[in-house]
Amino acid sequence: MKLWQKIFLSSLFLIIAAVNVISIVLLNNSHKLIIEREQSHAIREYEYFAASFANSAIYERLRSEKIILNDKEISEIATDIVSGRPKTQPAAIYSSEKKPIAESAMPELFKHDDLERFISSISSTSDNYNIRVFNCSDKRYMAVCSTIKVEDKTFLLLTASDVSEIFTLRTKQTNFVRQVGMISAAVISLILLVTVILLLRPLSRLNTYTKAIAGGNYKIRIRKRGSREFRELAENMNIMADSIQSNAARLEKIAEDRQTFIANLAHEMKTPLTSILGFADLLRIKKNVSDKERVEYAGTIVEETKRLRSLSGKLMELIALGGTETEKKPVSIPGMIKDTETSLLPLLQKNSVSLSCQCEDITISADEELFKSLLYNIIENAVKASAIGQEINIRAGMSDGNAVIAITDHGIGMSKEDAKKVFEPFYMVDKSRSRKAGGAGLGLALCVKIAEIHNAVLTLDSTLGEGTTVYIIISGEECL
Amino acid sequence: MINILIIEDDQNIAKMIKATLSIVNYNGTCCYDGKSGAKEAMKGTYDLILLDVMLPEMNGFEVMDAIKNCGSPVIFLTAMQDVADKVKGLRLGAEDYIVKPFEALELLARIDVVLRRSNKTQNIITYGSLSVDIASHIITDNGEPVQLTPKEFEVIVYFLQHQDIAVSRERLLSNIWGYEFEGESRTVDIHVQQVRRKLGLKDKLITIPKLGYRLESQDKT
Repeated sequence: MKLWQKIFLSSLFLIIAAVNVISIVLLNNSHKLIIEREQSHAIREYEYFAASFANSAIYERLRSEKIILNDKEISEIATDIVSGRPKTQPAAIYSSEKKPIAESAMPELFKHDDLERFISSISSTSDNYNIRVFNCSDKRYMAVCSTIKVEDKTFLLLTASDVSEIFTLRTKQTNFVRQVGMISAAVISLILLVTVILLLRPLSRLNTYTKAIAGGNYKIRIRKRGSREFRELAENMNIMADSIQSNAARLEKIAEDRQTFIANLAHEMKTPLTSILGFADLLRIKKNVSDKERVEYAGTIVEETKRLRSLSGKLMELIALGGTETEKKPVSIPGMIKDTETSLLPLLQKNSVSLSCQCEDITISADEELFKSLLYNIIENAVKASAIGQEINIRAGMSDGNAVIAITDHGIGMSKEDAKKVFEPFYMVDKSRSRKAGGAGLGLALCVKIAEIHNAVLTLDSTLGEGTTVYIIISGEECL
Repeated sequence: MINILIIEDDQNIAKMIKATLSIVNYNGTCCYDGKSGAKEAMKGTYDLILLDVMLPEMNGFEVMDAIKNCGSPVIFLTAMQDVADKVKGLRLGAEDYIVKPFEALELLARIDVVLRRSNKTQNIITYGSLSVDIASHIITDNGEPVQLTPKEFEVIVYFLQHQDIAVSRERLLSNIWGYEFEGESRTVDIHVQQVRRKLGLKDKLITIPKLGYRLESQDKT
């Protein structure tokens, strides 16, 4: 069952039940009041009848100047009195043995079995009023019955009155309430239906949008309308869609980068493989290979194999960086630069390049070996870019709360386009030069990875022909 | 003499291709970037151009576009295996597409096909007393015609075109019977024996253990 149906049906059921219960209680109450009023009325009637019976007996005794009236005389008086009653108010007088003495002409009431049982159930010693309502053909009578002492004899007196009207009224009222109840239920259900549907309409709208988002349309945003809960829900779903969109974009970027990486890797692997396979095949199938050719072919195979070895080594480093846990401890930047300089000494001497260092004593939290290899790679690049006799400047200091290391060379520099792509894996500014130097195009990509691990960013300034400055900006959080 | 232009940025690969071409006596000229390659190609003196796709300055597709009118057939060389790339290259007018890395004989075979298509190969090959007319499928020994089956004819032509090169059975199978032929290398052996017998090449068409066969060139002996 749908939510709107549930809400609608349950509230409709509750409303109708409440209306019915209230009207039944009210009806019953008013009916009870009317009956009570009718009862006191009937009692008064009875008392009047009993008094007139007693008075008639006294009057008759005094008139006939007797000390006591005999049964026959009393019976005559009773008959007189009973017959004088109006037709709608029948009455009867019984002896203490419950034998009828006089009954008004109401055969259907007095022949009633219930009445006889009623009379016989009344004790002749108590003088309580016994009241009961009798169904008699299509009419209802309220009967009052009690004992009375007249002329030292006990009699049972019964008066009755027609109360059909009260019950007819009740039936009529019940019918009326039922009709009104049905009409109002119809009206209420209509209003309820419209209200519920209107209130829940934003829900189906939300549903549509959610489906669209789930279906991959991350650009869609839900308009905030309807009651507060729905507006909040819409807002939260928009926030969710935002994060899904940005995540999807991020994943797409990662997938794209990976695709490019693999394509480049395939190219970088196939190029040396082509030379190796080609020359090896030549050595295999050629009948006469001169010494000069053999040295040339085999030399190339060795050279290209070395290139593959360097590529696979760098690749392994790159993969290992992603998986291994780094061990960070406080290390001093000038100390690391000094160590790196020492290990670069042979290369520096070979190229006659000198290093100058102006470093503040900054201590950062870093994996010493990794960070040194980052510095090594960057300084090595600077040396390779420099001409003989040039100087490389290294400066380190604090800027905007971050530690910054700047490595400046005055070598060949590079164009703006190259500078943009230089951090991409496999990008080489000068392919043939870099290959001859055994480069695989992965050095700076490796540096970027190491920088990431150390919460640092690499940026680069370069002018073609004037030199390059690489900045390592280490977030202040890592500074000690 | 067949002149072939090699436009390839990796010098070692260029050198390897040139060496491969030299064993069938083709003359190779190397260019190491797209721009100079396109300029060289426009001279129109080349029978075939081998063009790498990933080139500095101008990539292979751009070069292809620039040299459309030079009249020389082009074979692409590339490390990429993407079908879309192949289609792009072929649509631009390339004759064939070779994926790196490749074997030397595969390169020669592809070159052969393209050269034959543009009628740039020799139509008559002479080998000692043998004279083979490829176009009319006639082979004569001292002027006397020799009866060969079509496959036997193709086998001797292949060996004549690849003298002094060790040719594997698989190579012969894929070149003469086609890649889809899944017969055994026994088929090759039988055909080679027939050719040897019919043309009297017992000492020239020699078996190389574990590899295949080689037709020794005439002038060396």
